[in-house]
Formats: sequence, C-alpha cells, structure tokens
Amino acid sequence: MLQFIIRRTVGAAVTLFLIGAATFFLFVAAPSDYASLSCGKDCSPQRLEDIREALGLNLPLAQQFWDFMSGIVVGRDFPGEHCPAPCLGQSFYSSDLVWDTIKDRFPLTLSLTVGATVVFLVLGLGAGMLAAFRRGSPVDKVATGASMVLSSFQIYFLGPIALMIFVYGTGIMEDPKYVPLTEDPVGWLVGLSIPMVVMATIFTAQYTRMARSSLIEQLAEDHVRTARAKGMSQRYVFFRYAWRGSLIPIVTILGIDLSSLLGGAVVTELTFSLQGIGRLAVDGAVHKDLPLTMGVMLVGAFAILILNILTDIAYAWIDPRVRLS
Amino acid sequence: MNTLNSRGARAALVALAAGSLVLTGCSENKGGNSGKDSKKDQKEAAVQSKAVAYEDAAASTGPAEEVPGARSGGTIQVYQEAGLTHLDPGQIYVSDAGQVANLLFRGLTNFQEDGKGNVSVVGDLATDSGKSSDGGKTWTFTLKDGVKDQNGNPITSADIRHTIERQYAKFIFDGPTYLQTWLSGADYRKALPDGGFGDKHLPASVLDTPDEKTIVFHFDTARPDLPQTLAMPGYTVVPEETDTKEKYDKAPVSTGPYKIAEYKVGKSLKLVKNDQWDPKTDPVRHQYVDGYDFDFGVTESTQTKRLISDQGASKNAIQLTGAVESTQIQDVVGDPAVSKRTIKGYQPYVMTLTFNLDRVKNKKVRDAITYAVNSKSLIAGEGGAYGGDVAPNLFAPTLPGYEAGYDPYGRLKTPAGNLAKAKELLKDVPAAEKKIVHAYRNNEAGQKHKVAVEDALTKAGFDVVSKEVDAASFYEQVGKLDNPYDVYITGWGQDWPSPATVVTPVYDGDQVADGSPNYSHIDDPKVQALIKKALVQEPEEAEATWKEAHRYILEKVNPAAPLWYTKQFQLYGSNIGGARYSTESSYIDVNQLFLKS
Repeated sequence: MLQFIIRRTVGAAVTLFLIGAATFFLFVAAPSDYASLSCGKDCSPQRLEDIREALGLNLPLAQQFWDFMSGIVVGRDFPGEHCPAPCLGQSFYSSDLVWDTIKDRFPLTLSLTVGATVVFLVLGLGAGMLAAFRRGSPVDKVATGASMVLSSFQIYFLGPIALMIFVYGTGIMEDPKYVPLTEDPVGWLVGLSIPMVVMATIFTAQYTRMARSSLIEQLAEDHVRTARAKGMSQRYVFFRYAWRGSLIPIVTILGIDLSSLLGGAVVTELTFSLQGIGRLAVDGAVHKDLPLTMGVMLVGAFAILILNILTDIAYAWIDPRVRLS
Repeated sequence: MNTLNSRGARAALVALAAGSLVLTGCSENKGGNSGKDSKKDQKEAAVQSKAVAYEDAAASTGPAEEVPGARSGGTIQVYQEAGLTHLDPGQIYVSDAGQVANLLFRGLTNFQEDGKGNVSVVGDLATDSGKSSDGGKTWTFTLKDGVKDQNGNPITSADIRHTIERQYAKFIFDGPTYLQTWLSGADYRKALPDGGFGDKHLPASVLDTPDEKTIVFHFDTARPDLPQTLAMPGYTVVPEETDTKEKYDKAPVSTGPYKIAEYKVGKSLKLVKNDQWDPKTDPVRHQYVDGYDFDFGVTESTQTKRLISDQGASKNAIQLTGAVESTQIQDVVGDPAVSKRTIKGYQPYVMTLTFNLDRVKNKKVRDAITYAVNSKSLIAGEGGAYGGDVAPNLFAPTLPGYEAGYDPYGRLKTPAGNLAKAKELLKDVPAAEKKIVHAYRNNEAGQKHKVAVEDALTKAGFDVVSKEVDAASFYEQVGKLDNPYDVYITGWGQDWPSPATVVTPVYDGDQVADGSPNYSHIDDPKVQALIKKALVQEPEEAEATWKEAHRYILEKVNPAAPLWYTKQFQLYGSNIGGARYSTESSYIDVNQLFLKS
C-alpha cells in the first residue's frame, strides 16, 4: 500500500508539472496577451510596456514559468502582498490571489457535484437495478425508454426550461444561488436544487442504462448461475454476487465524471449564473488571465489524479483479485 | 455595454458591447415602435449635444434636488456580467467601474444632469467648477467645508495632491492619463517616479497647495476642459493616509454616499450607507436606499430573463452596464408592462470603416467605399434599431457640435449603401487600387462585419481580401503604423462631452504613432490648426471650431466612413424608482435611484 501511495504521488507530481508546462506554453503561444487586451485602444508602446512590467510579462518565459511553479511549493511575493504556498499566482484581471479565488469558488462546485451525484446515483442505479432485475417487464421498458430520452437532453436545454417554469414563469422558486451549507443547510439545498436536479437528470439517464447493462451481464455470469443453482435466494445472489461485480465499470465512469465535474461544471454554472470553478476557467480564457487559467487547470488536474487513485482503491475493495501493488 | 474591462478607452468596450449583442442572436427587430423610438432618441440627442456649462458655487451646493416620489430604505440588486477590473479610483477608466465609483468616490468636480439631456459641471469636493486665470493656463479650486472620508477624516488639499501624484506611480497603469500628461508631458512618469510616496513632489509651479483648502493647477497652455477632466472617476480622491498602494484596489476608502461592506472580486459587492457623507455638500448624489448588492457573473441573457419575469428580488434590480439581450428585445418592447421599465438612449460611440491613408491614398476610392458600405446590414447585427442608428457623420449624438442633418454622403437616404454613386466614382480608378484588404476581428461580431463589408464592396466593384485578426489584440494590430490593412471597423467615444476627446486623439496628425487611436494616420495641417485653436477656446466658443474641423475632415479628407451610432437599451425591476438615462454615462443614472416600497 505504501509503495502504491509513493508511486502514485510521484506520478501525480510529474503529471501536474507537465500539465502546468503545457498550459503555460500553449497560453503564451497565443497571438495576444492580457497586456494587449488591457491596453485597449489608446495603446502606445510605452503604455503596453508599463502594463507588461506591472504584470511581470516582460520577464523571460522560462523565468515566468519557474516563478509560477516554484510559487506552488514555496510561495511568492507580489507588490504589497505575500502569496503563501500553495501559491497559484495573482490574477492579472482582478489582482486577487488565484488560490484564494479558487478556495472561494470551490465550495459551490463541490456542492453541485456532491448534490447531483447523490441524486443521480440513487435514482440512476436504483432504476438500472430495477430494470435489470425485471428485465423485459414494463418497468424495464419504462426505465430504458426514459433513460434514452433523457440522455439525449443537455443542460443548456433543460436548464433554461426549468428556470422558465419554476423561476421566471410561476415564481415558485428564487433564482439559483449558493449559500454555504454551514451557514444555512436549507438555503443551500433550496438555492442549488434546480441546478442539482437538472445536472442529475442528465446523469441519471446515463447511469440507469449503465447499471442495467452491467447487471444483466453479471446476472448471466457462471458464478451467479452456480449460486442460484446451489439454492441461494434470488435477492441474496443479486446483491452478494451480481451487484458487486457490476460496480467495476460504474466506478470507473463515476471517477471520470466526478473529476470533470469538480474541474468545473462550466455549462451548468453559466446556465444558472453561478460562480464556481467552471466559470473561473471561462473567465481565465476570456480575459487571457494566465495565472487564473493555470490555477484552474492544475486544480482540475489534481482532482482527476486524486479521483483516479480513489478509483483504483475502490477497484481493490470491490474485487479482491485486484491488488494495489 | 459590456464590461469588459479593457483599459483605455471606454471606446474599446464598444466593440465588445457590440459583440455581446451580436453573440446572443440574430433576431430582426420587427417591433412596431423601433422607428418611433429612434426619432425620440434623435430628438433627445439634440439636447444632449449642447456644450457643457460650468456652474458656480450656488449650483455646487448640496443637497441635490429631491427626486419626485422618492422614499428611503431597501437594497437595490445590481446585475452585471463581468466583475470589476479595478476599484482603485486611479485605475478606473471604464464604464462599469465608473458607475460604481459614482456611488463611492468624489472628485473636485462632477457632472450634473437635469434629466432632459442637459449636462453641466458642478463643484463636488470643490466649492465650484473651478476658476481659471492666466488665459486658462491656471485653474484654482477651493475645497468645501465638511467633506470627509468614510473614517471621518476631513479631505484636504494634501489629499488632492496625493491623488494626482500617485497617478505617476507605476502601479497605476489602467486609469486616464490626461491630467498627468497636461501637467508633466507625455513622459510624465519620469517627473515623479515614486508617485509622490517619497519626499519628492510636483513643484508648486505645476501643482500648488498653498493651504489646506486650495489647489492650483498650472499648465503650459490653456486647458478649458479641465473641470470636465476632473469629473472623470479616475480623478476621484484617494485620501493620503488611507492609501495602501496596490492593495487599495480591493479595499478603497469611500468619500461618497456609500461605502464597501464586502467585496469578493469577480463575484459580489455589497455597499452600505456611508454615515460620514454629508448631503449638504453634494449637489448630485442621493442616499435613498440602504445599500446595493452587486451580483457579478449574471449573463445579459439571464439579466434580461430575470427582469422581464420581475419575480422576487428582480423587482428591486437594475442592469449596471448590461443591455437587453438582442434575442429578447421583442419580448421587452412587445409587452407594455415590461417596455415601460426600460431606459433608452445613445451611447457616445461612432463606429466607422477607417481607411489606412498610407495605403488608400486615392480619395475617390475612399469616397466610393463610403458610398458603398451598408450601415443597415451592420446595424441589424447589433440588434437592429435598439442596438444602433445609421451614422451620417463622425460626431456622436451625445457630442457637443453634433449635427443630425449633416450627411455629406447621403447615408440617411441610402442606409444600405449607394452602389450607383460608388460605381460612378470608380470608373476611372485603376484595377490595382480597387483591391482592398479588410481586417476584421475573429469573433462573431467580426464575422458579421466581414460579411457585410465584403458584400457591399464587392457589389460596388472592389476586389476585397478579408484578413482575420485576433479580437483581443485587434486595436494593437490595426494601431501599428505599418499595418498591412486598407480598411478596418473601429469605434471611439468621448471621455467627457467635448469633441476635444474625439477629434484630437483620432484625427490629429501629431498623434500619428504606433498604438495611437489615429488609425487612419490622417496628418493634415488644416485639421491640426483647427484642433489647436479649439483646444484653447471655452466650450461654447470651441463648438464652432470643432464643427468646422469635423466638416473639413469628413468632406475634404475622408479618413473614415461613418457606419453607425451605438445605442443603449436597459431594463429594470418594477420596484425601482427614479430610473432615468444618464446623458453623461449613457447608462442608468445611479444617482437618482430609490425603491418604491
């Protein structure tokens, strides 16, 4: 286990460094930078140089990259402000420390991810199990049909419809907003309920189909048939043998979905005017804000690496034949 | 207007604003009232384009005139798409932060409006709009009694000196540069590298503060526009004792009716009443509501939907600098209950198809292009009659000296272009001169511009080569003197209501340089002479000189084909009272607002 953790940690550090380097050099290869955007129309060469100097863009690229990456480990100093480790730089656009901004925005993204995941796992896996258990029955047909229809929808389609019905049309609910869970749990749930449900709807459909097909495959396995032949109850065999075996592909996809959601549910946040990590990523790109883009990319990559590790650990728990070493 | 907060130039925003309208759709305005609204806007523009008056001490004394029906209390919700780039007054040059600055900060002077389009300059922290002497080269301001910052500290002449001197520091790079340049020349930073934070200060021969109440500016030439320049948000006061340099951008100290209670950059801003603000000293602002809650990150589409629905908190909401999204314009104008909650008016920007005079040397070619371009199709891409109006000349309707009927190329009669006239002019033009390289932005707005320009010029007989340019660095690219393009769509708007802030930067030959907004590279001795003459005249006297310069530029040189005037169309909630269009900002007038219940 220790060897596994050390190996993955070293691998994660190297991966993050490479992602950081790729992001940085792709970004600076673009035909314009934040200084050009900020300089506007009345942009004399001197003014452009002043802005570049103020932002540190006049330094050699290698030094800019090194300053950024080393800041993550040892921190950095900016005019009038110290940025402690892990320092992800200072936003060109807002001059806020990127790490502080990410810490401020992450709870919303985490709330959306966790809330929607609970909903789509309960509903999706529940419906998939039921459909597999009652294969060929009306229940199966309804679940399969509904998942087919819902999986073809997109958040940018369902989101505005939900807002039109529940907020702008009937006024039953207020505009979606984020209230910290620790401050007001009810406000948290009510404020994010529409985006959570809309997100979950799309994923529920996918997980219903996935759970159904995986379970049907497991139910046809030799060891399941043997267990049934030995006289074990259908329910016991279903949960003890078939269900556990069907979790491997589900956990794999769940790991990928969660990491992409934690990296920023861009469309959801834009649709519902919420300020999470996804919105930050868009802001970084739109404003040519290199530190912000680097910060969001690295945090997103970090989330993916952590979830990959958790997925590997989950494999070993689900199937003892899989060894972490 | 989108915010996007490019420095420079409010005009830089116009392209983005235009883009934001275009991005959201291509609906055609079929609404019945658009023509009527345009005529109303034009009528109001006739008032707006009067020269700005400079008011005396009586007009500069508070409190501001009561808004009919106003009551106190409540919090106004403000929707805005992008966060603010800056809150340090010295760094504020763009409209969104300018609107917020109006609630937070005070300068020596301020603009006052009467709601009918008339704008004047009054003393804000100063007792009047300033007293000039020495032929306009010296300006003296005296501070009012009882003006304090949010901590209760009185504002003194030392604070005004500090406010101006800190603009020389390198960490101030996004704000206006007019005053510094006038006082110390184009290379002003060298005159005070540490921005007055050390022992060195500007000499008394440039900026004098003989006592705690008096500030004297000395210029090497007459500066009749100074009272208007000082009314810019970028020159509002930063009390010396409170200045935290770079950190000030996130936690500035208020001198206006509201102060910051909480600010999360790019996310939210909460303003509450500043109890140190004395209404008796302020002839412009009110403090009717208890506070403002700014919600950033709300797209124009969502802003419009929320305000049309008028549910819950949206009843108390306004758009700060956002506009009604173009695809929802019909939902707004088609419903009388919603339509009555709108603000309409011209923005100060004129969009032109600018000629690179170093490449398009034949005036016949420039005239032919001017006749051929299709303003109508370009405006359709901006949201139709609510997004823009045909521009017959180079002065915006908000600019003193604007003449609605001045239309030397018959643009009003033939908004879709006069191809017959264009072809006639091109008869004797060699084929090589008919090849035109058009630079356009690589965004959705730019794509629409490309189609419209290419189509019109091709029909007139030109061989058009369209070149895509990165939208973010578009002005940097076309601002290069040796740029390889013949024509490009650019926009410019006044920094205050004076042609000096339009004709000088855009058409003065002295400004021809890399990065200069003189994108046409016009360098004409007569234009320069007229500019020099107008710059030292009092606003009302200068109006005639500017008009003469305008006519000469457009008819005799023709450095840019006028295309369209940009327009503002905003929506607010049903519980908002006192909402009106501000001639000065071209957005909702934040100084007048209250909640009805």
